[in-house]
Amino acid sequence: MSTKPKSRWADDDEDAALDAQRKAEKEAKKRAKAEKQRIAEEAAAAQQLKQQQQAQQEFESHHSPLSSRPSKRRKLSPPVEAERPEIQDDLLPAKLLRFPAPAWKKCRSVEDFEKLNDIEEGAYGWVSRAKDTVMGKVVALKRLKMDNANDGVPVTGLREIQTLRACSHPNIVALQEVVVGEDTSKIENIFLVLDFLEHDLKTLLETMPEPFLTSEVKTLLLQLTSGVAYLHSNFILHRDLKTSNLLLSNRGVLKIADFGMARYYSTPSPRLTTLVVTLWYRSPELLLGTETYGPSVDIWSLGCIFGELLSSTPLLQGTNEVSQLSLIFSLCGIPSEKTWPSFRRLPNARSLKLPSTAQSPASHGSVIRAKFPFLTSTGAALLTSCLALNPASRPTAQEVLDHEFFKEDPKPKSTAMFPTFPSKAGMEKRRRGRTPEAPGRGKARELGEVDFSGVFGGERSEERGGGFALKLI
Amino acid sequence: MSHLSNPLATADQLYQRSNALPIEIQDSIRFYTARLTQAAGILLRLPQDITAQANVLLFRYWVVDDLMAHEFSDVSAATIYLTAKISAEPRSLRSITNVYAYLLSSPSLSLSKNPGSSSDGDGNAKVDPESYYLSEGTYITTRNRILNIEGQILNALGFVTHVALPHPLAITYLQTLDVFANANGKAKELARRTVEWLNTALLSPQMLYLTHQPASLATAAIYLAARETGVKMPDVEWWEVFDCEREELGFLVVGMGSLGGLVEREGKRWGERGMISRLGVREEVKYLNGGGVVDEEVETARLMDEKVGA
Repeated sequence: MSTKPKSRWADDDEDAALDAQRKAEKEAKKRAKAEKQRIAEEAAAAQQLKQQQQAQQEFESHHSPLSSRPSKRRKLSPPVEAERPEIQDDLLPAKLLRFPAPAWKKCRSVEDFEKLNDIEEGAYGWVSRAKDTVMGKVVALKRLKMDNANDGVPVTGLREIQTLRACSHPNIVALQEVVVGEDTSKIENIFLVLDFLEHDLKTLLETMPEPFLTSEVKTLLLQLTSGVAYLHSNFILHRDLKTSNLLLSNRGVLKIADFGMARYYSTPSPRLTTLVVTLWYRSPELLLGTETYGPSVDIWSLGCIFGELLSSTPLLQGTNEVSQLSLIFSLCGIPSEKTWPSFRRLPNARSLKLPSTAQSPASHGSVIRAKFPFLTSTGAALLTSCLALNPASRPTAQEVLDHEFFKEDPKPKSTAMFPTFPSKAGMEKRRRGRTPEAPGRGKARELGEVDFSGVFGGERSEERGGGFALKLI
Repeated sequence: MSHLSNPLATADQLYQRSNALPIEIQDSIRFYTARLTQAAGILLRLPQDITAQANVLLFRYWVVDDLMAHEFSDVSAATIYLTAKISAEPRSLRSITNVYAYLLSSPSLSLSKNPGSSSDGDGNAKVDPESYYLSEGTYITTRNRILNIEGQILNALGFVTHVALPHPLAITYLQTLDVFANANGKAKELARRTVEWLNTALLSPQMLYLTHQPASLATAAIYLAARETGVKMPDVEWWEVFDCEREELGFLVVGMGSLGGLVEREGKRWGERGMISRLGVREEVKYLNGGGVVDEEVETARLMDEKVGA
């Protein structure tokens, strides 16, 4: 019994081999380390030597006892001096993100603006066209209504400023700044300085001699939808999309305006007020009193606007909530448990009396297709899906953007090719045609002696404003 | 991007800090008022992000307008009213004026060194409810003052009320550093201390939230909390991953850490007072200037203050 009973954990040959291998590895590492250090030291020494030489040179070239800096530098301990640069060479190129940091400063006074003309009075204040006397730009000035003095600056106005500031998108009107009245001891007059655009879609649709072409409707709808998609991707609900809140520039650019109803939302949606969106553009779930809604309410309004652009008249013009709902049901059909599960549980739906679908088979389906006979089937499909009674089956703004309707002929018209119209807000009048007649047959008249010196003097006789001819393409 | 970045104060704005007052006194005003806002936020049961935004707006307002333009507690109330109004959790002016009346009535009540003791029954017993009763007339004048200051604040800020807070960023950073998976029991403590450091920095008269972006604040808070709790951070310069330079980190770590000393200094200067007022500041400045005695001018100022307050 010279050998102890072999433990399962005792060393055997295999372990020894492993040990040896580990040792070898360690040694290799050590060697590598030593080598590295040696190189570093060599470099340090070289650097030191170089420095010394440099210092010597400097010292010699100066020959001045006052230049004590070189000698001081020589006294520094070499490893610190020399090793630093090498390490830093490895680590320095870290690229750090730098954030934009705008400052804040006091509001400018509204006295810096020269009022040109009033545009309209909206639900939250009135708007006028004005010229910035400092910058020379023409802008739209929107005055906030200070209705409830006991709450200070109205929350709707603050929300509008907050959401507009957070947005930067070509199809959303830009808030340039906020200015206040001259007397700053009491802040009562607050004005938003916004982009000035020549038209709002509502006035334009009312005054246009003919409705938009399909290609133009597509351009407008695409711009509107990309604005809405931007808002929704930033968790903002507009809650008051309608044609009078959509502005159009003379270059065919559409911008969403009036964020007085807008607010941030979240998923799952917080409890929100149902008293939003102008009646004609209000979705059935809002009319039925839901308190948890989401971006689909904006999509319903989008569908209403789509229909309005096609026919030039608002799609569903109810006089009150009840008539609005009945108009909706006669256009989009009667909801059933199958098409809109759980709609019966909405607050206002319990007392709802609906005709049984068996009674009048024609009334339970959507009649959108029949109402717009000139729309292609994909277009009708898009409109029908936006105006789906069940909010869950409406497409998202992004899905609308990707819809087949915008890819088929006629293609959306380029904004550069968009027709222009005389702007009511810009005080423009339709230009009356005073083009001269074509020359008749006969002998050409000679000019004779004419004085051209007054050519540039008669500017006053030129037509005021205008410059935009009605062009139908 | 706006969720990650803040507008920052310009060098001019920081330099022109009301030069009529000694810097230390300015620091006192900033610290005491921010602490008052924080206490009011708790009593109003506001989520901390709203209280924090209110304190950032308070400091932003004070780099534009003069510190002594309005009573400090009124400015604090106005910022908290404004911030809550545009959030999802608005508070009525009635609640706010009541809470401020309560906080200002008995200085050692909720703003004392041990706020925990005041929340239980014993602490409340000592306070006379009459001292924080708000009559209808006082309510209306207070409300009008707050509303007026609200307008002044909005005007001074150019209506920029956006505040990005570092708190959510800090939690994301901790997750990125994988502490919740690795640091066993200490991870929760680390996260708690991080958030506490961020809330502490809100009270700092160095106005760190006005000079540094949320990313840097979050990084510095994590650094401090990790050092305290002993959670091991990576050996490399991990702060660079979060876009914070070593130098900036060092500055913020010192800045955040210095608040403790400042609180002690303030305690010695102002005693057990829960909140300071413009009158107290005027007297203190007089004292610092060698006056020492309350003279006529201060007395008139006090009378005028009372008149405004009535």
